[in-house]
Amino acid sequence: MSALPAAIVALIASLRSLPGIGPRSAERIALHLVQADPHAVEQLARHLTEARARVQLCATCGALTETSPCGTCSDPRRDATFLCVVERPTDTLVIEKPGTFRGRYHVLGGKLSPLNGIEPEDLRIRELEERLTREPVKEILIALGTDVEGDATSFYLARRLARPGLKISRIAHGLPAGAGLDFADELTLSRALEGRRDMKQDE
Amino acid sequence: MHLARLRLRDFRNYPRLDAEFAPGFHLLLGDNAQGKTNILEAVYLVATLRSFRGVGSAQMVRSGQKGYFVGSHIVGQGEHETKMYWSLRERNLSLDGMPVRKVTDYLGVLRTVVFCTEDLLLVKGPSRSRRRFLDLLLSQTSPAYLPLLQRYTRALRSRNAILKQPTINPLLLAGFSQELLQAGGEITQLRCELAPKISALARLACRRIASDTEDLQIEYLPSVKKDFTVELAQSAARERTYRTTVIGPHRDDLDLLLNGRSATQYGSEGQKRTLAIAMKVAQADYLTGLHGTPPILLIDDIMGELDLKRRTGLFPLLQRSRLARSQVFMTATEENWPEELGRDVQRWLVKEGGLCPLPATDS
Repeated sequence: MSALPAAIVALIASLRSLPGIGPRSAERIALHLVQADPHAVEQLARHLTEARARVQLCATCGALTETSPCGTCSDPRRDATFLCVVERPTDTLVIEKPGTFRGRYHVLGGKLSPLNGIEPEDLRIRELEERLTREPVKEILIALGTDVEGDATSFYLARRLARPGLKISRIAHGLPAGAGLDFADELTLSRALEGRRDMKQDE
Repeated sequence: MHLARLRLRDFRNYPRLDAEFAPGFHLLLGDNAQGKTNILEAVYLVATLRSFRGVGSAQMVRSGQKGYFVGSHIVGQGEHETKMYWSLRERNLSLDGMPVRKVTDYLGVLRTVVFCTEDLLLVKGPSRSRRRFLDLLLSQTSPAYLPLLQRYTRALRSRNAILKQPTINPLLLAGFSQELLQAGGEITQLRCELAPKISALARLACRRIASDTEDLQIEYLPSVKKDFTVELAQSAARERTYRTTVIGPHRDDLDLLLNGRSATQYGSEGQKRTLAIAMKVAQADYLTGLHGTPPILLIDDIMGELDLKRRTGLFPLLQRSRLARSQVFMTATEENWPEELGRDVQRWLVKEGGLCPLPATDS
């Protein structure tokens, strides 16, 4: 068996570092690229470099954007008094999907994790506090995951951001909508029981 | 419930094994280092996904091979097929042909209780081994327990990492304290409910095995006496001195009292052995009571260490497994196999990583 040309080996190595691409896929893509139409490959390369050069983090909220401040931050129709705090830039896309959230975002860039050496200074909390002095924020919605770090970060934020006239809420967790009880695991169920709500009689 | 078929590939010293087991007693005979305990280990692995010898999966791969495979056919309420493959690069676990996504969905397919010489650590060992006893039993019987314990451990390790920093951020610490308190409170509660039940069962077992004069009592000694929140706050100065969390379920223990005195300190060697077995019998009894069917008993070479009287004390347990069409797997060398078990035993010869049935004895 003849060895692969060095250029292909290098290409495979780069492809393998991408998420979701294993050694076999990397090899297949590399072999496809070196045999493809040169124009198509040039276009792909151009798209890669352009996308990387243009996309940046919004200076205000930290989401992915081509213009800073981003579309959401500069959109006058978005509710400037309502701020949603998320962990990663891509989380804003998840919250946007249902189309019901009309406020603005703030990306933390991670969550507190002493085991991985991530401390408050490593997150965009100072930026968030500065926004609170500049912007007319009335409510902060903390939309972090419910693992140990997510819960601890939420607790930390709620305490640190507490100030008069500011409401701090946490995204609810419990049963998936439209599903029966039998699909929930025990921990979810016990949390759902804890987070039970009154049913108003007159509604 | 019984294990009808066991398939091993490159597991420990077995290159290949396909064995069928009927309900009842199985006596695995053979010289030392032939692979008797490895069979028990494989059965235990099917039930709990870990080794009772406290080793990682890498050590269970036959030397020079890449990975091991353990497959089983379980007959209980319904039939199940389990398959497990482990190598450094790949691990697969499937139940009835479907990949298992959550371990909690898998555990409970097969239930086992193992009796081995390491059980003595329950009495002689550090408090960690007694907490493990509680944890193992609770994760087998209460589905919420394992995720709870994992959350607690994560919060505890995070907290300890914060406490080891040169300057401690109090608000950051409080965030993880919150998690520690919530999971820890529930763990203490569950352990507290389990302990008296185990104590009552172990007391009966101890009487059967030893004599009526020995009265065993197991008391739960929670690290948190009353209110975790208050006590954690009170320990603030101490945890800053020791730079670690000094209070919580990770410091729990069980007090084993024989006739009102600590067995760990005052018990004789014989008493300690009896006590360890009594705790294991209690575990088996508890699982039987909860699920209605006895677990499979895996007895590793302890019969030889017990005198006739203590062996006799174990017979009701073995007898019940037989009557319920469950199974008992027992290892022994030819010299010390308990002959009084009688004739109704399937004897197997284990030799150099092979297993072959022996004809019934006429004696």
